[in-house]
Amino acid sequence: MTATSAFFEQLTAVGHDPRLCKVRGSVRFDIRDGEQVEQWLLDIDHGQMRVTQGAGPAGTVITVSAEVAEAMTRGEMNGLAAIIRGDILVDGDIGLAMRVGRLFPKASESQEQAGSGSRAQADSGSREQADPGRGK
Amino acid sequence: MKDIAGTVSCIDGNTFIVSDTSGDVESSPAAPVGLFAADTRFLSRWVLTVNGERLTALSVDDSQYYEVAFFVVPGGPVDYVQADVSAIRRRRIGADLTESLTLFNYGDRDVDLDVRLEVASDFADIFEIKFAVGDKAGSHYTHVGPSELRLGYRRGTFQREVSVSASEPATFEPGGLRFTPRLRPGDRWSTQLRVEMRALRPDGVDLRAAARALRPDETTLPESVRAWVAQAPTLDTESAALQQVYHRSLVDLAALRFAPLSLGGATVPAAGLPWFMTLFGRDSLLTCLQALPVMPSMTPPTLRILASLQGARNDDVLEEDPGRILHELRYGESAAFEEQPHSPYYGTADASQLFVVLLDEYERWSGDAALVMELEQEVRAILAWIDQYADLTSTGYVWYERRNRATGLENQCWKDSWDSISYADGRLPGFPRATCELQGYAYDAKIRAARLARTFWGDPGYADRLEREAAALYERFNRDFWLDDRGYYALALDHDGTPVDSLSSNIGHLLWSGIVPPERAARVVEHLMGPALFSGWGVRTLAEGQGRYNPLGYHNGTVWPFDNSFIAWGLRRYGFAAEAGRIAEGILDAATYFQGRLPEAFGGFERHVTRYPVRYPTAGSPQAWSSGTSLLLIRTMLGLEPHQDHLAVAPALPPAFDRIALMDIPGRWGRVDAFARHRPDEPSDRGHHPASSIE
Repeated sequence: MTATSAFFEQLTAVGHDPRLCKVRGSVRFDIRDGEQVEQWLLDIDHGQMRVTQGAGPAGTVITVSAEVAEAMTRGEMNGLAAIIRGDILVDGDIGLAMRVGRLFPKASESQEQAGSGSRAQADSGSREQADPGRGK
Repeated sequence: MKDIAGTVSCIDGNTFIVSDTSGDVESSPAAPVGLFAADTRFLSRWVLTVNGERLTALSVDDSQYYEVAFFVVPGGPVDYVQADVSAIRRRRIGADLTESLTLFNYGDRDVDLDVRLEVASDFADIFEIKFAVGDKAGSHYTHVGPSELRLGYRRGTFQREVSVSASEPATFEPGGLRFTPRLRPGDRWSTQLRVEMRALRPDGVDLRAAARALRPDETTLPESVRAWVAQAPTLDTESAALQQVYHRSLVDLAALRFAPLSLGGATVPAAGLPWFMTLFGRDSLLTCLQALPVMPSMTPPTLRILASLQGARNDDVLEEDPGRILHELRYGESAAFEEQPHSPYYGTADASQLFVVLLDEYERWSGDAALVMELEQEVRAILAWIDQYADLTSTGYVWYERRNRATGLENQCWKDSWDSISYADGRLPGFPRATCELQGYAYDAKIRAARLARTFWGDPGYADRLEREAAALYERFNRDFWLDDRGYYALALDHDGTPVDSLSSNIGHLLWSGIVPPERAARVVEHLMGPALFSGWGVRTLAEGQGRYNPLGYHNGTVWPFDNSFIAWGLRRYGFAAEAGRIAEGILDAATYFQGRLPEAFGGFERHVTRYPVRYPTAGSPQAWSSGTSLLLIRTMLGLEPHQDHLAVAPALPPAFDRIALMDIPGRWGRVDAFARHRPDEPSDRGHHPASSIE
C-alpha cells in the first residue's frame, strides 16, 4: 500500500475531524501516475467524513501527481504555495480545498504525531515542545 | 493618482498599473512601476512613440481610480511648439488592462504615422523589486502571432503569461507592436489595446479562473462604485476639506477591494499601493475597525477569510501556531517556491487579538449574533494562542521572537521595521520582546471575549475566567511597564523584563485598549500632546529627543495617520475630547496637502517650521488604514458609541469645524443621524464643549 492510500484509509477509519465542523461539501482527489488515475472521494458534513475510493461527482476536484500526493501525505507540501506554483490543481472551491488540506500532516509534526493525523491542535501546548526549533 | 512623485496609478484590488504622467512604463529592477497582478509584474515596459518621438502629457484625468485618461502630444515637455497630431490614451483596469488609443490630426495636411508600442515583461515578483533582485530562476519566452504578442515566464510548473492584442491591424514584433495609420486633416484614428494577464496551471487553465468567474461584469464597475459610496452615510459639513477627505476615503477603500482566491468572490481590503496590495491581518482588521460606522460590510468577509486561514499547526518557516491569525498572504513566485514565507506568513503578534476586538465591536454595531456564533471556535483558539504560544517567557505577556531567522520579521508589532523598538539612548533590546500595545490589545481581547462568551456562547464560567485573566494582566502590566519617574509606559519589555524606556506613540493605543488606570491617564496624555510627541499635525511614532528619533524615520519619528486615529479614539475613551479634537484637526488639515488622500506616513517635522506636512519618500498611497483614518476621526469627533440597541452621540468638535452631520449611520438601530455644531454664542476656540447631542 502506498503512503497515499494509507493516508486515505486512515481518514476513513477516523471518520470525523473537529476542524471541519463548519464544512459541508465533497472533494475528490484525482492522483495521476502516468496513464493511471487513483481517485478518492471525501464527503464532508459538518466534521463527519465519508471516504470512498473511486470516481464520483464532487463539487471540488483536486488534481495532483502521485509524487505530489506522496509529499502531501508526508507533510512536505505547503498547499497554498503548491496551488500558485501549479503543483496542486483545484477546480471548484479553493477555500474548501485549503480547509481539507489541513487534514494532511505537517513535516515538523509528523514524527511526533505519526499516525494520529488529526491531532495537530493539541492543547497540551507547552511552547518548548511545540517549537523544538526555537533557539534562545 | 499621483502619489509616488511623477507617477499615475490605476487600481482594481491587487491588479494595478503605475506609469509616468504620459502613461508610459519604463521600469528599472528596483522601481515599483508597471502592470501588476497577484504580486507579479506583467508589464515592465509599455512605451508609446509616434514617428519615433515619445509623448508628453498635457493633462491627466484620473478622477476614477480604475480609469485614467492621458492627453498627450509628441515631443518633450520643453520643445513643444504646436502639435498637429495629438492623442488620448484611455486606460482601464479590471481583471485585464484595456487601453484605447486615439490619434487626432488637426493639421491641414495628410499625415502618415508610425505608431509604436514597446512592450516587455520581466515577470518580477514584488519582493524581487523590493529587494532589487535582478536574476530569475526560470526562463522567459516570446511568441509573436499574427494578432497577438505573448510574453511568458516558466519555472517548472509555475507559468505566468501576458498577451497583448489590438482591435486594429498591427504588426507584432518581439519588442512590441506597430500601426501605420494615415490620417487626413481633421481625421481621428483609434485602436483598442488589450493586455491579458494569466497565471497558468500546467493544463493551461488560469488558476484564478474560478475566482475571476465570480467577478461582476466589468461594465457594472462605475455603478458599483457609486453604490459603494451611496451605501455609506452622507456627510454634511461646511468644511470642504473634510468633505473631500471623506469622499476620497470611501472611493479609495473601494479601489483597494480585492477578492482572495479562497473567498468565493467576496472582497476584503488590500493594505496599500504599491508594496502591500494583498491581505494583511493587522491592516485589514484595523481598517475594518476604523470603517465600522460607515462601511460595516467590509468586516464579515475579512473576519471569515482570516478565520479560514487561522493557524492550525506549528511551522517555523511560516511562524504558524494553532490559533494564530495570519500576517500576510501572497500569490507571487517567491511565495510559490517558498523563498518568502508568505503562503501565508503568521509573523504578527497583534492580529490575533485585533480579530477578537473587531468581532466584538462589529457585533456591538451590527447586532450580527450569527457571526459571533460562527466564529466561536476561532476566538477560543486565539485566546488559547495568547496564553500558550505568545507568552514566550511564561510571564503572562504577549512576546515575539522570530523563528524564521532567514526571512521572518524581527519586529512583529505594527512598527515592523528592524530598528523600530529601541531604548531612549538608542540601544536595541534583545529578544523576545513584548511591546506595550500588544498587552493592551490582549487585555481588550479578553474583556471583549468575556462579553461574547456570556452573551452569546452561554459560557459564563469561561467569561469569568477571561475577566480574571484580564484583571491580572491589568495589574501586572501597570506594575511592569509603568515608568513612574517619567510618567509614561515603557515602549516594551526587553527579554529579561527590563523596561525599554523610550517615549513613543504606542502609549496612545493603551488608552484605546482601556488598560490605563484613569488616574494615570492625564500624565500619559500630557506626553502625547507635549512637544516631544505632538508635531502640530499629529503624534509622532517616536518622540523628539529619543536616541533614534528622525523625523523621516519610518517608525522612528514620522507621523502615521492611522496611528493617530486610534490614539484619538483612546483619548475620547478617557474623556480627553479636546485633545482628541486637536489630533483630528491636525491630521485632517494635513490631508488637504495630499488632495484628501492621507499617505501611509509623513514627516515628523514641527508644523510651525515646515508649515506643510513633508512627504515621506517611499510612503505607500492609497493605504487602507490611512483611508480609514478620516472615518474613525469623524466617529471620534461625533463621539459615536453603540449602546445596546441605540447609537449614543456625544459630539466634541474642534475649532476647525463648525458643523458635522453624519446621516444614515447603519447599525442594529436601522439608520440614524448624528449632528454636531458649535453654539453660536460660544467662541469656536472652546469647541470641546459640545452644544448638541441628538441620537
